[in-house]
Amino acid sequence: MPRARAESDVWNEAEKVSYRDSRLARRGAMAGIASAFLGVTAVDAFRADSSRGLADGPSPSTGTNIITLFMRGAMSHLDTFDPKPGREEQGETGVIQTKTPGVVFGESLPKLAGMSDRLAVIRAVTTQTGAHEQGQYLMRTGYQPINSIRHPAFGACALHCLGRRPGNLPGYVLVGNGNDHPGCGFLDPSLSPVPVADPQVGLENTVRPAYLTEQNFARRLALADRIDRDFKATYGGGQIEAYNQMYAEAVRLLGSDDLEAFDISRETEAVRDRYGRSQLGRGCLLARRLVESGVRVVEVDFNGWDMHRELFEELPTKAAILDKALGTLLDDLDDRGLLQSTLVVLATEFGRTPKINENGGRDHHPAVFSCLLAGSGVRGGVVHGASDERGHSPDSGVVSIADFNATVAAAAGLPSDKEFHAPNGRPFKIGGGGTAIREVLA
Amino acid sequence: MTAKVLGGLPRLPVILLCLAALAGLGAEQKRPASRKPSPPFQLPAAVQQEPATEPMPVAPLGRGTRPAIEEAAAAIDALLAARHREQGLIPSAALDDAQFVRRAYLDLGGRIPTHDEAAAFLAENDPGKRGALIDRLLESPDYVSRFYNVWADTLRLTERPQKNLWCEPYLDWVKRSIAANRPYDQWVYEMLTANGKTWENPAVGYQLRDQGMPLPFVDNTVRVFLGTQIGCAQCHDHPFDSWTQQQFYELAAFTSGTRSGLGGKPGKPARDMGRRGEPADAAQKNIQGLLRETRSRAEATERKKVDNQFLQFLQANGTRVSFRERPLQLPHDSQDSAATSDDPVAPQVLWGEVPTEARALDQRAQFAAWLTSGDNRQFARTIANRMWKLLMGVGIVEPIDDFRPGNPPSDPELMEHLTDLVLRLDFDLRAFVRVIASTATWQRRAVPHDPTSGLPFAFTSPALRRMSAEQLWDSILTLVAHDPWAYQRPTAEEFAAGVDLNLSAGKVSWEDAHETYERFQKTLAPQRTRRLMLRRYGYMGQVLARASELPTPLPLGHFLRQFGQGDRETIDGGRTVATIPQILAMFNGPITHSMLQRGSMIQDEIAAHDPGRAIDIIFLSVLTHSPDAEDRMLAMEEMTAAGDTITGCNNVIWALLNTREFIFIQ
Repeated sequence: MPRARAESDVWNEAEKVSYRDSRLARRGAMAGIASAFLGVTAVDAFRADSSRGLADGPSPSTGTNIITLFMRGAMSHLDTFDPKPGREEQGETGVIQTKTPGVVFGESLPKLAGMSDRLAVIRAVTTQTGAHEQGQYLMRTGYQPINSIRHPAFGACALHCLGRRPGNLPGYVLVGNGNDHPGCGFLDPSLSPVPVADPQVGLENTVRPAYLTEQNFARRLALADRIDRDFKATYGGGQIEAYNQMYAEAVRLLGSDDLEAFDISRETEAVRDRYGRSQLGRGCLLARRLVESGVRVVEVDFNGWDMHRELFEELPTKAAILDKALGTLLDDLDDRGLLQSTLVVLATEFGRTPKINENGGRDHHPAVFSCLLAGSGVRGGVVHGASDERGHSPDSGVVSIADFNATVAAAAGLPSDKEFHAPNGRPFKIGGGGTAIREVLA
Repeated sequence: MTAKVLGGLPRLPVILLCLAALAGLGAEQKRPASRKPSPPFQLPAAVQQEPATEPMPVAPLGRGTRPAIEEAAAAIDALLAARHREQGLIPSAALDDAQFVRRAYLDLGGRIPTHDEAAAFLAENDPGKRGALIDRLLESPDYVSRFYNVWADTLRLTERPQKNLWCEPYLDWVKRSIAANRPYDQWVYEMLTANGKTWENPAVGYQLRDQGMPLPFVDNTVRVFLGTQIGCAQCHDHPFDSWTQQQFYELAAFTSGTRSGLGGKPGKPARDMGRRGEPADAAQKNIQGLLRETRSRAEATERKKVDNQFLQFLQANGTRVSFRERPLQLPHDSQDSAATSDDPVAPQVLWGEVPTEARALDQRAQFAAWLTSGDNRQFARTIANRMWKLLMGVGIVEPIDDFRPGNPPSDPELMEHLTDLVLRLDFDLRAFVRVIASTATWQRRAVPHDPTSGLPFAFTSPALRRMSAEQLWDSILTLVAHDPWAYQRPTAEEFAAGVDLNLSAGKVSWEDAHETYERFQKTLAPQRTRRLMLRRYGYMGQVLARASELPTPLPLGHFLRQFGQGDRETIDGGRTVATIPQILAMFNGPITHSMLQRGSMIQDEIAAHDPGRAIDIIFLSVLTHSPDAEDRMLAMEEMTAAGDTITGCNNVIWALLNTREFIFIQ
């Protein structure tokens, strides 16, 4: 359904003036609301609570930011970062020489090819999971999905260890579909990613309707809390507690001075063009704004890589979007001096078959595929591992999903060797207990 | 489009009465001059009218069978009671009537009861009133809507699985199959074997959902209907399971001959015509000619721009599911050493055998007959577990699509007992739901359960659940709309009448085809329908219609998606995880504010009663119970603090919506 932006914008537009004018006043008032509603002092409610025991990280105001671009649906390695020119398996996708001698990319990635000296390409990632949901879960957590535990997403672990930066913005934002995301897993619900459905729209409903005074709003919250006392007392914990925390987080967020970080329309047309007017381009621009404003971890979900049919018609467009968005993101972070403190990861759940099927597509192929790293903690210009001549199996430098996640952890300065315990006693390591690839680390 | 959508003048007297009542209430309470006016939005008149007719016919339930239902329910209770005695577990308390009526409406009807429905049930003295309510709900359109939402998530229903596959009639067919209470085995068999166009035989929509992806089609079918994951064996032998790649391909060989007429993308020549399509018949040649003519006409114009939507319209008319046996080969890069030859894979079922009476049928029909057979207990077991989870919150096997030796049922006896029940009821799913809802177990207070605790759930009562996105949306709609059914999606027949080129009646000229297309664009085309929906049923950009009637999938930012409605790509993709945007939507979004507008159901309910009863009306409407002494005192204090009745009432309504009690099913 169309969003009917026109109508809802009228409402928001009318509010924006007063919202901007009263921004400073609002924060104090929201602290008061939090106090009334949560029954705690403003200081308590707004204190970054990052030290719940997984690990002692650096001070929240330092340390790495992480931006992950997740190519959902399984990105073909042969047509992007691991082509096999001259082979029948290559199909219609041509190649382009990168800045790194002897290394070629798919022809739709000219910008990234031109900055290969800043990329670490990992070409022999392997998994045994050829089903999307399981593969995504594995890539995002480092663990196979099992019934008796919900593992935290890598971003939640990172936030837990690195801590939230000062301010009231959330620590972890997910751009795109959050339904199947492992989120905070067994960690504290406050570490859950805040989903932003559409980067063009940003975070919605952050402005109170015009008729609703601040006092009324505070009274409403307090009243809800008091009427809910019996229910909460009967059913406390678990999902109810997660909702309690989300209410507290939402109130905290509304008190933020930096909500504009969610609004990419504040960028110039030229900047928005550079990133590309695509879901991923906007997502990357939003990620840059958020990281700049103090959000620790951003994941951008980019769906549509499950090309069982007509791959050679769909892939060039998709890859060009990726090239523009990621290339610009890296340049922009670099220009702003943020790349040295920001780790950028490109991941997907598995690869696609070298054999082109009868519908002109490629099917699921977990045996080998490619991922990328760049930025903070990463050595650029490296290609680690190789697939065989057909792009079918790893030939050298094989990397499991857990190894890949351990490498990301190492680049971000997280303790991937340390053993923790989930609430049910199961041992747990950040990234899944793999071994980091030293070759790609700075 | 239904007559209801386009026809029907506003029933003015009702509206005027409502407005007069509200105006009167407003006049008594003088607004402070400093207060900002409310947003200049009004509820659409279409949902403020009392419903004129029943939204859809639903198959009646045999009332005489209630004793048998009660007996079956008692058998489940007895089995569980014995188990709980062994384990030393004490079940939670029985629901009181107020809790029962809320749960019954939510679980069986997908929404909370209205004020009047709750009040009427609570006032009744008949000892059999709970059974009677269950039965009444199971023959209501609310039941159809609720179970449609459930199946929409499982079957990944979407109007357009691909741009040139137009499956609107299939969505309507699913809804009507539920309304007609088609036996589940027949319903599934029909989906797996249907031939024709979507509007001639809407059941083909199931096969079109994974059109052009024969391997994912088999994987998804086995997951949904047999609760078994063989998908990993698509690429290699599954490391943790018994399925081999050979077995996966042997099963896929049954359905690999399914085809859908014209293939290819709009604007491109059909890739598979001639190579694997049937020899083109007259109708298909007609469509191919029309496609060619469209392109050559575009070439002749200055802009050379092809109308892709017209191409899709033509291709939709050329899409027709059929089946002709066709060999399937294992991939050359198979990890299975036995599979190096080019010999086609012989079709073979995963367990058991194809029923004797189906052996003379084509391979696809053999597969469907095997899958849906009463002898294939896994088929019955899977649906028993799925329905049990729907009402109890937890499956006996979890995840519900991962039955295997390494993941046994938490209570094997219960699992087999329910499987027998499904078989004994001849796959009458409504009767099965009726039995579960009639158990004492289901009618007890919910207990919290953490599915990731690793601990089995004992089924002393249902698990505490957050409302599904659809339950929440439809519950809010119940508080807003006098007629939540004002908008309904077009029926299969309405769609067919607007889109069909009637190729079988003789050759269709380009001009005639284009004229039909232009008519379609003005009436049933999605863009058009959505604009119309917003204009007539929109409130601040949100269409006020039941979740089952809204387009699918909805955009990610929609209230339903924020609260976890599935993306229609993931099987059973709906989630109930807490997120911040949900809370912001509850705080400031249009949906929670729609009921604070004049003419909403709850505002009219308040206005229709003595002002002194406002607090009682609000509590019964939103939380389905009366306020206790403390609640009443808190609400009274708020009314005083607010200064005027309308603000006070609105603050109380808003506060109740923002309780955990509202969104969790206790």
